[in-house]
Amino acid sequence: MAQVPMQTIHRDPQLFYWILFPITIVMILTGMLRHYATVLMASDPKKLDQKAMREQRALLHGMNLRANYHVLSKPSFTARRDALITAFESGAYLKDPDSRGQPPPNPMSDPNAMEGMMGMMKNQMAMIIPNTLIMSWINAFFSGYVIMKLPFPLTIKFKSMLQAGVATRDMDPRWMSSISWYFLCIFGLQSVFNFLLGSENAANQMAQQMNQIGPQAGQMFGPGVDPNKQFLAEAENLAVIEHHSVLDGVEQRLLEGIKM
Amino acid sequence: MAPSALQPPTRLSPAAALALSQQAPAILRSSTSIAYPPPLNKLLSGSENSEKWLQYENLIMSCLRTGDDQAAHACLRRLIVRFGDDNERVQALRGLVKEAEARNNGALEEVLKEYNQILSGNDTNIPIAKRRIALLRSMGRLSDATSALVQLLDFSPTDAEAWSELSDIYVSQGMYSQAIYAMEEVLVLAPNAWNIHARLGELQYMAATAPGVASGSYQQYMAEAIKRFSRSIELCDDYLRGYYGLKLVTKRLLIEGALAAKQTEGSEFTLPDTNTIERLNELATAKLSEIVRRSLSHDRGWRGYSEGDIAVARDLLGEDESQVTR
Repeated sequence: MAQVPMQTIHRDPQLFYWILFPITIVMILTGMLRHYATVLMASDPKKLDQKAMREQRALLHGMNLRANYHVLSKPSFTARRDALITAFESGAYLKDPDSRGQPPPNPMSDPNAMEGMMGMMKNQMAMIIPNTLIMSWINAFFSGYVIMKLPFPLTIKFKSMLQAGVATRDMDPRWMSSISWYFLCIFGLQSVFNFLLGSENAANQMAQQMNQIGPQAGQMFGPGVDPNKQFLAEAENLAVIEHHSVLDGVEQRLLEGIKM
Repeated sequence: MAPSALQPPTRLSPAAALALSQQAPAILRSSTSIAYPPPLNKLLSGSENSEKWLQYENLIMSCLRTGDDQAAHACLRRLIVRFGDDNERVQALRGLVKEAEARNNGALEEVLKEYNQILSGNDTNIPIAKRRIALLRSMGRLSDATSALVQLLDFSPTDAEAWSELSDIYVSQGMYSQAIYAMEEVLVLAPNAWNIHARLGELQYMAATAPGVASGSYQQYMAEAIKRFSRSIELCDDYLRGYYGLKLVTKRLLIEGALAAKQTEGSEFTLPDTNTIERLNELATAKLSEIVRRSLSHDRGWRGYSEGDIAVARDLLGEDESQVTR
């Protein structure tokens, strides 16, 4: 079988210095810029006023009681349960007791909710704008070049990833175009940013996207949730608990469990 | 164990606190207070971590305790430079320094007025609210402190620290059932805290032995005290305080013997029968003497007990023996 001849492309060695390095440096600099922009734009966590805090923590208190009722003796549990259920059902812990039973306000009209959304928008913008700019900058200046040859062999599947913008069918996938280098930088600079900015940096958009998919913990008290309904549900949860105590028969457990 | 500036210094012995505050100049010198802009800070001053600020906070407390006000101020200045003047925690620490430096009641009143002013501007400033309560308590105005605590707990009922402080205040006034209620709230927030279980057992025992308790509720309290101590031992093997309490309660019940025989009906917890009490007493005695013996001979793995606790446990065991010989 005939050996496939080694592909050689004569490139100007200057390509290396005038494309590869600029792209890398620009990517790093925009990452740092994005980090500081996010830090500057980040709004302080919203301060809760006393009523709102009371509402949230009272609900949490009910949840704690529901989760850990077994540490209490029956009389003390029943006393707490009765008190909490009465308070929950009468809306004693609500931030504004007057608005009970009314439909929840439109989240768009609530200034607090708007602020949260604005924060998210700002973050999104800080990601999208620089990416678009750099992408178009690279496209405008460096598209259509092969800039380097990777020092290791690759299968044909990598062609579309590494040779974006260079539509040559027979070229060895080891050759790489500038756009591909840009993509590699997007995905591969995380450790550089970790070194430069600390591990909690906002430079890398991949991490941010992960976060958005991830937990929705703030949703419990978020806008659009009717606290009165939460309280009623919690009261019901408390009411159906069948009490047993961890103290029941603990002496016997102890005598059996501990051998001298 | 050498005291570390990373642990809160509230439980340190005076000697340990002194040793810690003597480290202060070295710690202050080892880290410069100049803040470089990143990324220079990476290269010049090492990474910033939360431990450093925790260290400063704890240093302030032990320095104040040992009278090294100068070092405390130096630490406080660094915290102010880093977190700003209006950070809640920094405000509380500043108040703490002022309280410690107050020489007379008038100065304390000044600090109290300052706290009130801060709280009138921002009524959810929990660190300051807690400082104010502590200050009221140390000035002897217990009823004010109690009502302030109750008000704090009304809007923040998930604060275990505040609940246990409330319990402590009630105990100091002899209001045991309220103290037990507050301690149970702590337990709801931290269901597996064995020290809280043991503390609750102690409270039940105190309530039972307080003068003027009806015999029905006396048995209730004693029964629950046994259960609480047993639970604390179940959660933490070789827990000296749990065994000590268990022994104390069972011993008392065995001496009273006859009284334990008649049970009140319809109550939640009933006292176990005499046989069980005896076995519990034996278990507690055996375990206590093992702990005392091993700890006194400095066996490996038995060194964590404080000397005071061991001495008290030995006294309790000694009492027992002298009764037997008599």
